[in-house]
Amino acid sequence: MGAHKHVSGAAYVVTFVALLVLATVSLLLSMLHWPVWGTVVALVIAVVKALLVLFFFMHLVEQRFSNRLAVLVSILFVTLLVGLTSADVATRHTFAQRTEPSPNEAFYGR
Amino acid sequence: MHAHELGEQYGDFAQQDHTLKFGMWVFLASEVLLFAALFALYAAYRTMYVDDFRAAIEHNTLAYGTVNMFVLLVSSFTVALSVWAVRHGRNGTAVALQLTTIALGIAFLVIKLFEYAEHFHERALPGRYYHMTELPTFGANRFFTMYWVMTGVHALHVTGGVCVVGWLVYRTATRHYTPEHYAGLEMGTMYWHLVDVIWIFLWPLLYLA
Repeated sequence: MGAHKHVSGAAYVVTFVALLVLATVSLLLSMLHWPVWGTVVALVIAVVKALLVLFFFMHLVEQRFSNRLAVLVSILFVTLLVGLTSADVATRHTFAQRTEPSPNEAFYGR
Repeated sequence: MHAHELGEQYGDFAQQDHTLKFGMWVFLASEVLLFAALFALYAAYRTMYVDDFRAAIEHNTLAYGTVNMFVLLVSSFTVALSVWAVRHGRNGTAVALQLTTIALGIAFLVIKLFEYAEHFHERALPGRYYHMTELPTFGANRFFTMYWVMTGVHALHVTGGVCVVGWLVYRTATRHYTPEHYAGLEMGTMYWHLVDVIWIFLWPLLYLA
């Protein structure tokens, strides 16, 4: 530490205000009830918010590349796991897409 | 190891601090993998029951989840500012900011308890205990099962985070952290930020249709 430039007080405030604005935008957009794109846009906003927290609140911007690499690798793993799991479910034809058991047995317990 | 002692394996403090923080990032990456498994399961169920999930999200307690989103954003801001305060030698200010973070963390948990009580009242419970008559679908059952597991694991992390920040209060108040040496403080605050980042993703997935 010391050798690198520190995040300034103003940068913390700007980050915080940006987070509040993004959360509000996300909330307002959700009221439009877009079928598919609503979720996509909400997740894109979430990624931007997360990056703001990582780079400024968690000081990734002042740190060496090895620390960013740890973040990149986790993002890659999450994308692989979530993406391939959904792709499998979406494209597999060995089970019915919507298997809804009758109310009496499955979700009202026994 | 005593405060601010240079471990013999390190060339200088900069290297030691970098190593400590890199270790913290790797630990947080492992935490992300834990949640990634839950996100993947959520994605799989949501792909199977698109409409049921939408209906369940629209039925979910949006106000509680949204208030908690803002509570965590403010708490992340205050704990980040506490590092800024220590960097400027203002440990008293840092302690006040950390105590605010703890108060907000507890507020999050209290709000969550009220929310859980509402779900319990509606019988929107996980698995075979699901008896919510408004949404008698298997997909809604899956949604609320994932809701309880994901928010439950997250709430455990909030509880852990409150304890971590409590430890930071003690170390900051006793001036263990100085403008030159505060790697431990940064590591502790990183854990709190992780709790915020996870909720940043849980909020749109569980509340915003």
